[in-house]
Amino acid sequence: MALVYEFVWRVLHVLLHVHRTLITWFRIRIRNWNSRLWPRALAALLMPIAVSFPNQKKFVPGTGKRVCRPYRWGADGKSLEKLPLHIGLLIAEEEPRYTDIANLVVWCMAVGISYVSVYDNQGVFRRNSSRLMGEIVRQQQELLGPEGSKQHSVDFLHNGTDKPGHQVSWCQSVLNVVSPDDGKPKIVQAAQRLCRAVEQREKTSKDIDVTALDSLLRESESPPDPELVLKFGPLESTLGFLPWHIRLTEFISLPSHVDVCYEDLFNALQRYASCEQRLGK
Amino acid sequence: MSWIREGELNLIEKLTANILKSGPMPKHVAFIMDGNRRYARKRQVERQEGHTQGFDKLAETLRWCLNLNILEVTVYAFSIENFKRSKDEVDGLMELAKQKFIKLLEEQENLEKHGVCIRVLGDLTLLPLDLQQHIARAVVATRSHNKCFLNVCFAYTSRHEIANAVREMAWGVEQGHIKSSDVSEALLSQCLYSSNSPNPDLLIRTSGEVRLSDFLLWQTSHSCLVFQSVLWPEYTFWNLCEAILQYQLNYRPLQKARDQHQEDQAIQQLEADRACVAELIQHCGNGNPLDAQRRQEALLQYTASREERVQDFLCALQHKRDSFFTDLTSQAALI
Repeated sequence: MALVYEFVWRVLHVLLHVHRTLITWFRIRIRNWNSRLWPRALAALLMPIAVSFPNQKKFVPGTGKRVCRPYRWGADGKSLEKLPLHIGLLIAEEEPRYTDIANLVVWCMAVGISYVSVYDNQGVFRRNSSRLMGEIVRQQQELLGPEGSKQHSVDFLHNGTDKPGHQVSWCQSVLNVVSPDDGKPKIVQAAQRLCRAVEQREKTSKDIDVTALDSLLRESESPPDPELVLKFGPLESTLGFLPWHIRLTEFISLPSHVDVCYEDLFNALQRYASCEQRLGK
Repeated sequence: MSWIREGELNLIEKLTANILKSGPMPKHVAFIMDGNRRYARKRQVERQEGHTQGFDKLAETLRWCLNLNILEVTVYAFSIENFKRSKDEVDGLMELAKQKFIKLLEEQENLEKHGVCIRVLGDLTLLPLDLQQHIARAVVATRSHNKCFLNVCFAYTSRHEIANAVREMAWGVEQGHIKSSDVSEALLSQCLYSSNSPNPDLLIRTSGEVRLSDFLLWQTSHSCLVFQSVLWPEYTFWNLCEAILQYQLNYRPLQKARDQHQEDQAIQQLEADRACVAELIQHCGNGNPLDAQRRQEALLQYTASREERVQDFLCALQHKRDSFFTDLTSQAALI
């Protein structure tokens, strides 16, 4: 009987995997079809009608690139009831695509989010932070154009070991590259500092409370706690992302960061804007 | 039993349970039982009724967990933040909790038969004294049971728990049990309220909210998180199965991430021990560098003595915690 149950379980899981793969496949196919064939079909077959469409700017014959409308992104940000001050991008996928992540960072900045954190649970971004930064600068030029890039600048939050960050004229957004070392290990380091102070009779154990620990974990340049984390990939976990800082963070999952588009990001922001935090009350 | 509903699964539920059990099953599930008040609004009943129904649903869910061989459950019953609610609501919740713990103590035989161990995690000194005493009696009475475990987080937030763990380690330093260099991720985990439990494999939050609300932030860093839109009093066996299915789909990659984290932790501990040994050699040495073998011996010796210190400290801490509950029960007995 146990073998029957196991067989049914295996069939169930195969079906679920196939289901997941099909959904991903369809999602990519529909998006490519939308960006390439639909505008071409429209242009070719329905030209007279297409001219009268109010949003005809969207239907640019595709090279697959999205139309750059930085002014629209800023307006989108202002139209939301609330926008997170600090957003986390948690990449829970094996192979990170730097261009897509750079796009996400640029869109977040353009929409008006002040702090953007990028995280993966193997510290890949931390080890390759200069490559990520380069990609962001490139995508900034491409998506915002030279004028836009001057207005929306990004500064790198120094993590001590990095070479001097990219400094552009007006600092409007700060990028923070986070790794698992910024999570539990940092809490442990703060704990060691407090215990050393007790060892040296500078403090007593009764002086240690949430506020004392919190102030050690919040260095001078630290961003505020992330209000929203977008998790990319099928893994349903925080994977060690800043445990202390995520007590009130909203988690929104997206299927993948590969070929992610602005609309995906904006939909998530809209979802965030509509959530209600009661804070215990 | 009032806390665990009596009853068995029906045929279809049993079949489904058997199929699910063919795959990896979570051994410890945590629940954020959210949605009682929205349920009450929906049904147009009093808030208090919503909370009572919420408790009944907990009893039913614990029964399902036992049927599915999930032997450890942690629930978020009352957050320190919830003290901000109206006095009426807070008093109502305290009264509900008191009644439930009193009822629990009346069912000692059943608890013994099922081997249920009840633990209450949180800063219990924030609660009314009579409730503290009832809780203490329940905890002490079921302390030795070991078939299944229910951890109730009451007057709890994760940040308070972590800060408390750091305070306990500082106490250990003050008492001379450990040194500040003994502080590590593993030791901090052992000082949390949940130190007697493994980390939850699966965390479920109901009512559609997608945040952790300061619950088990340390312990769930590599747990499977499932957010479900159903309101807690309307939770069904099928909702639970859906969550377990999600757990099974995430099992292998999460296991891999967890193992990676363990490896990183072990490396960090080894490096910390090496650094301590190097410092000791510098202090005590006569300037001659030790050869590799001597260094290795010194490292092994240091690690062994550190582990012994830590064990002694943890015993002292467990004793301190046990005494807290025992003292409360003796106080209650005197009244």
